[in-house]
Amino acid sequence: MSWSEIQPLLSQGFLDTLYMVGWSTLIAVLIGLPLGVLLVLTDRGGLLGNAPVNKVVGAIVNIGRSLPFIILLIALIPFTRFLVGSFIGPTAAIVPLAIGAIPFFARLVESAVREVDKGLVEAVQAMGGGTPTVVFKALLPQALPSLVAGLTTTVIVLIGYSAMAGTVGGGGLGSVAVQYGYQRFETSVMIATVVALIVIVTAVQLVGDAVVRGVAAHRGGAAGGAAGASGRLARLGRGRTVAVTAAVVVPLALIGYGLGTGGDDKQTLKVAASPTPHAEILEYVEKNLAKKEGLKLDIRKFNDYVVPNTATESGEVDANFFQHKPYLDDFNEKKNTHIEPVVNVELEPLALYSKKAGDLKDLTAGKTVAVPNDSTNEGRALHLLADNGVIELKSGAGAEATLGDVTDDKGLNFKELEAASVPRALDDVDAAVINGNYAVDTGLNPSKDALAAEKVKGNPYANFLAVKDGNQDDPRIKKLAKLLNSDEVKHFIENKYKGGIAPAFGPVGS
Amino acid sequence: MRPGAAATARHLGELQHATERTAPSCALSARPAWAYGSPHTPTNNGNTVITTQDLTKVYRTRDREVTALDGVNLHVREGEVFGVVGQSGAGKSSLIRCVNLLERPTSGTVTVDGQDLTALAGKGNDKRAGRELRAARGRIGMVFQHFNLLSSRTVLGNVELPLEILGHSGQERTRKARELLDLVGLADKANTHPAQLSGGQKQRVGIARALAGDPKVLLSDEATSALDPETTRSVLQLLRDLNKQLGLTVLLITHEMEVVKAVCDSAALMKNGRFTESGTVPGLLATPGSELARELFPVGGVPSAPGRTVVDVTFHGETTTEPVISKLSRTYNVDISILGAAMDTVAGKQVGRMRIELPGSFEDNVVPIGFLREQGLTVDVAAVAGSPGLPVPDDGGRRGPEDVRVEEGAK
Ligand SMILES: Nc1ncnc2c1ncn2[C@@H]1O[C@H](COP(=O)(O)OP(=O)(O)O)[C@@H](O)[C@H]1O
Ligand SMILES: [Mg+2]
Repeated sequence: MSWSEIQPLLSQGFLDTLYMVGWSTLIAVLIGLPLGVLLVLTDRGGLLGNAPVNKVVGAIVNIGRSLPFIILLIALIPFTRFLVGSFIGPTAAIVPLAIGAIPFFARLVESAVREVDKGLVEAVQAMGGGTPTVVFKALLPQALPSLVAGLTTTVIVLIGYSAMAGTVGGGGLGSVAVQYGYQRFETSVMIATVVALIVIVTAVQLVGDAVVRGVAAHRGGAAGGAAGASGRLARLGRGRTVAVTAAVVVPLALIGYGLGTGGDDKQTLKVAASPTPHAEILEYVEKNLAKKEGLKLDIRKFNDYVVPNTATESGEVDANFFQHKPYLDDFNEKKNTHIEPVVNVELEPLALYSKKAGDLKDLTAGKTVAVPNDSTNEGRALHLLADNGVIELKSGAGAEATLGDVTDDKGLNFKELEAASVPRALDDVDAAVINGNYAVDTGLNPSKDALAAEKVKGNPYANFLAVKDGNQDDPRIKKLAKLLNSDEVKHFIENKYKGGIAPAFGPVGS
Repeated sequence: MRPGAAATARHLGELQHATERTAPSCALSARPAWAYGSPHTPTNNGNTVITTQDLTKVYRTRDREVTALDGVNLHVREGEVFGVVGQSGAGKSSLIRCVNLLERPTSGTVTVDGQDLTALAGKGNDKRAGRELRAARGRIGMVFQHFNLLSSRTVLGNVELPLEILGHSGQERTRKARELLDLVGLADKANTHPAQLSGGQKQRVGIARALAGDPKVLLSDEATSALDPETTRSVLQLLRDLNKQLGLTVLLITHEMEVVKAVCDSAALMKNGRFTESGTVPGLLATPGSELARELFPVGGVPSAPGRTVVDVTFHGETTTEPVISKLSRTYNVDISILGAAMDTVAGKQVGRMRIELPGSFEDNVVPIGFLREQGLTVDVAAVAGSPGLPVPDDGGRRGPEDVRVEEGAK
């Protein structure tokens, strides 16, 4: 990808990251700070020594800290929905991010406050100060440098967590790196986002350190003692400027951005999509075709295959575009949802590739073939191999056939890998069944390089636009369906994906 | 410096008379318990501002109990500097922290300026101090060994803190804090941070801060223990000046006898959570067998031969100028050797101490010793190795001229 293509991804990712990390940091501080202080105060021998409260708060904090973030993200979906009315998008991602960061920050606050000399507490008490005075006039100001250092660490951890926000359509630099770099082999994008992340993390650390040093110098600690008075003043001035500027600019920018993304237009059609190719096709439609039809699209990208359907079912998005019929049928049945396909758009045909064999006949006994390991893709891969006579399957083997259904493997060995990783393994095996989109991303050309490929016509794995049952006749949906099956989109798909993804228009067969 | 300052700050070794001085460190008393007089309560001349009644403090940790205070009766009179001395772990800090209820006493009462503070303490397990107790604390100043200044604030800010707690307005605070800094001689340091001050300057800030609430009472927990001798003297001088100028009552605890000698009007010796002696400093010095007196004013000297009686004689005020020893020698025709002697100013008064040796056993010397007592001296038969160290008949003359209480040593 060229820089002009990467640049908007980066700036959008940066804004999303800033938005999510900024707000979640703010919330983590607002809640984590009192919690951390409470942990110190209620501890045995503390000002409010209260063992039950201390134990309960400590336990909650520990549970919060031990949950892997991705689990927290999913577990909090009902809570997030209750809080912000939706569990998708950058705003919703703030909830799990903040909740993940609260216990983390609280422990850092606790240890920072514990470091404060007990003598100071005693001095304030001896003056007649109560607990609030001790906290606000002694503990917090004295712990300030450690608190700032803890805040820096928290922000950096949140930047890391926010990479997982892609699961709930939060976007951000981390999820750009995963979507483009890992899943699409756009190494240039991955490098650019990773560099951007390194720059941001470094900048956060530098600013944090500068503020800590500024405070220490201001208080005449070791750093300040050595330097001359003028140098100290200069540094103090700079430290303050940085701190004040950050304190003013960051929240303002966040609020502004939040309002920007918060705009919710009834006319706008919200569509959940996988980043590639679905969101790209939708973006093409939005940019080039939608305006003429008076249609506005709000495209939400998801790395995950569950959330787009649940969000469609709950009405948080109006439609989705990422799945095929076998997957949807299974989903509707298992999750008791009522999602209905509207129109087929494209197919990512599976094909068999090889760097060693020039022909199907070269796949003789002892050779190794890699196949995707998820049930749908593995079934598709085995059917593709069977249709081309490479193996034989049990008669009646369903869509989700497994290696157990192979009746004659012709002496081949199979290696099951995650679909996105199969292309990476191509050099290490004799042949591999690869999804079209991944194949194109690795530089393979399905029409030229494939030894065998799925047929487009009548293929049940075509991806379609889907809505909650009852919304099929929404005029906006109808417009979108029409546009998705237009000649322009056909050309766009053919030109852009070069056979890795094929247009597969028309009604969805049952 | 005021004229009195030089005297107060005088070194121990500074001899005014041509008396020879030997000053080995004096080991704590080997004196038998029966040598002490029976306890008696001090008469109350002047108002008592700090009183503790049967104060006990027991620390309970998971596996053991420590009795830090074991029935302490403290009486500090208005306008005096009262020193509590004792070795580390004796319970001094526990005592001073009980006075403003930073530590809640296990039993007993604490009265400061007529107010029973123990009655204000929270009930049960509630460790929070109620409004009344906090208000009372605001009227008691406290200075600490490690200063306990906030590094997050300037010197001025530190002195303003108690004023903030008292609810003074911004301008009023600054004015008052500057005044206090001026009082302790740090007006020019108002805008620096504590980290840039020397130990002595920090303690001056600590004192200024302690005075912010116009306290009647100042508590000092080893305020000079982290300072070098020179700085110690100047800080003690400041305390003394404040005591004189403001009529401030000071309760200070220390493990250094020098401190007691330099500033205290009264003192108590603490051991294992109890006062073994307490009284005015002159009174203690006049008390035979007083361990504090011996510690305050050690005289050394070893008897020249066995079978001789060694006697420690303490001179006070008038008697310092009397040629008592030569009178004794002439009157009873005895050869007296002076083993050691020292002269010093204690609590602003001249005191001399001398260790003399009389030939013969104690019984042989009952009459000369009686003579010395008649002259108004405190006479103590020293328990020195080689000396018979026989009991002194308990006649009324052993009682010191002022309130002194010497309790039996704690077990
Ligand atoms: N908070 C506490 N918990 C348990 N024991 C304590 C505590 N504070 C003091 N002590 C014990 O009480 C005794 C007296 O201590 P302290 O009052 O600090 O003596 P001092 O100030 O004379 O050195 C010591 O044995 C000490 O270990
Ligand atoms: Mg102590």
